[in-house]
Amino acid sequence: MIKVENVTKVYPNGAEGVKDVSIHIEKGEFVFFIGSSGSGKSTLIKLLMKELNPTDGQIVINNINTTRMKRSKIPFLRRNLGIVFQDFRLLATKTVYENVAFAMQVIESPSSQIRRNIPTVLSLVGLQDKAKAYPNQLSGGEQQRTALARAIVNNPPILIADEPTGNLDPDTAWDIMCLLEEINKRGTTVVVATHAKNIVDAMQKRVVTLKDGHIIRDVRKGGYSDEA
Amino acid sequence: MRPSSIRYYFKEGFTGLLKNRLMAVASIATVAACIFIISLSCCIIGNLSSVLKQIEDTIGIAVFLDDNLDSEKINTISDELKAIPHVTMVTYISPEEALDSLKEEWQADDILDGFDGENNPLSHSFEVSLEGIEYQSDVLKGIEGISGIRNVRHAQSETQILLKLNKVLSIVGIAIVAILSIISVVIIMNTIKISVYTRRTEINIMKFVGATDWFIRWPFIIEGVLIGLLGASIPMAVSWPLYTKIVELIYQYFPVIKGIATLLDGYVIFSKLIPVSLIFGVLLGVFGSVSSIHKHLRV
Repeated sequence: MIKVENVTKVYPNGAEGVKDVSIHIEKGEFVFFIGSSGSGKSTLIKLLMKELNPTDGQIVINNINTTRMKRSKIPFLRRNLGIVFQDFRLLATKTVYENVAFAMQVIESPSSQIRRNIPTVLSLVGLQDKAKAYPNQLSGGEQQRTALARAIVNNPPILIADEPTGNLDPDTAWDIMCLLEEINKRGTTVVVATHAKNIVDAMQKRVVTLKDGHIIRDVRKGGYSDEA
Repeated sequence: MRPSSIRYYFKEGFTGLLKNRLMAVASIATVAACIFIISLSCCIIGNLSSVLKQIEDTIGIAVFLDDNLDSEKINTISDELKAIPHVTMVTYISPEEALDSLKEEWQADDILDGFDGENNPLSHSFEVSLEGIEYQSDVLKGIEGISGIRNVRHAQSETQILLKLNKVLSIVGIAIVAILSIISVVIIMNTIKISVYTRRTEINIMKFVGATDWFIRWPFIIEGVLIGLLGASIPMAVSWPLYTKIVELIYQYFPVIKGIATLLDGYVIFSKLIPVSLIFGVLLGVFGSVSSIHKHLRV
């Protein structure tokens, strides 16, 4: 599903984001990327969603080599990826319903399908009663649920979450992680970059640890504190 | 392009304008102010050149004929004059008519008292009107070749001055409008750039949910068209009645002008200015929007 092969990213200022990183993620896996700030996990996530281009090496997502991809094709790559950010990135001028509908309008889904799918996905994330609310009327957890609903409404094969719980209190963070696990159980490959030590420990998923741009550890059922 | 997408573009274009009211108003006001100033300059320049043209039209060539020509010869000369290129009208003036107008002009009957009927020292003449004073020397050459002409009189120095004024006015006019247009484009582009900058997160989010560049652009283009149309309509709606009023006032306070020339009717100016402004406004709006979002699309 995701193949990262010998990828190096050097920023224009000379800083190295990741160095010679290789990683394979199978369909249906749930993977944590962990590591301190500057370890390269954000760089890796950005490379996966093609916000950045690798300096060297190649990345294959869903059998598409994204390394030498035309700019005009990027939107179609991103339609395979549900993306969730730490800062939610909701459109402040749109309601919860509209924010989710937006993701479907973008890929030009017919209106009938939009009307059918959104109530389903909103109830999946537990926001069926908040459809008409605007982001500033929601709690952080609710905003992240909205972002999650938006990320999965088009049924992407892969969900990428960059610090999805970074702005949330521990209880809410736990709820969001459970939701991610739920989504994973429905067959979506889930990649999560996080700092949330307790959650990583509790969930016992595959954990990839990065340090100074290298992968220093990759365990099947691991925790945050196993060694590092 | 699906019909639902087209509906979406228009809805987003309109709501985008409403939801970003402050920046929209700033953009529209900027476009309106620029087009207002440009249209004002057009009114002034248009009128100056129209007045100039009217003065030019009064300058003709007076052709005096030899004495003792019979009416047949006079007719031949008239036809020959008419045949010269760029001559628009040839008016015959008999010695009697010339004497009458002279008397009227001088308002001193006693000096001319002795002259009338058989005793008229004035000769047969023609007033030759031209397409434009720039053809004066060509026409003069043509007249030289005609026999039976005693004397030709034309206003040479006035002609030179008018020709120069004409040239200066058209250069200055084009320069002023061009400079104002360039300044407007820069100001308007900046305003729209700021308005798009405040919405870069929105564009960024669109990119991450897989929107194509054109999907993102369309609502902005529609917004740009609306800004341009509104920005151009306002100054047009204001400046036409304003112009009519100003012309009225000028006639009222400077009645002398009426004797020299008539000012352009509002319709003459605005029938051209309105479509040009609307197109200019729309192009500005669209170009401003598209070029401003360009940078934010590279995510």
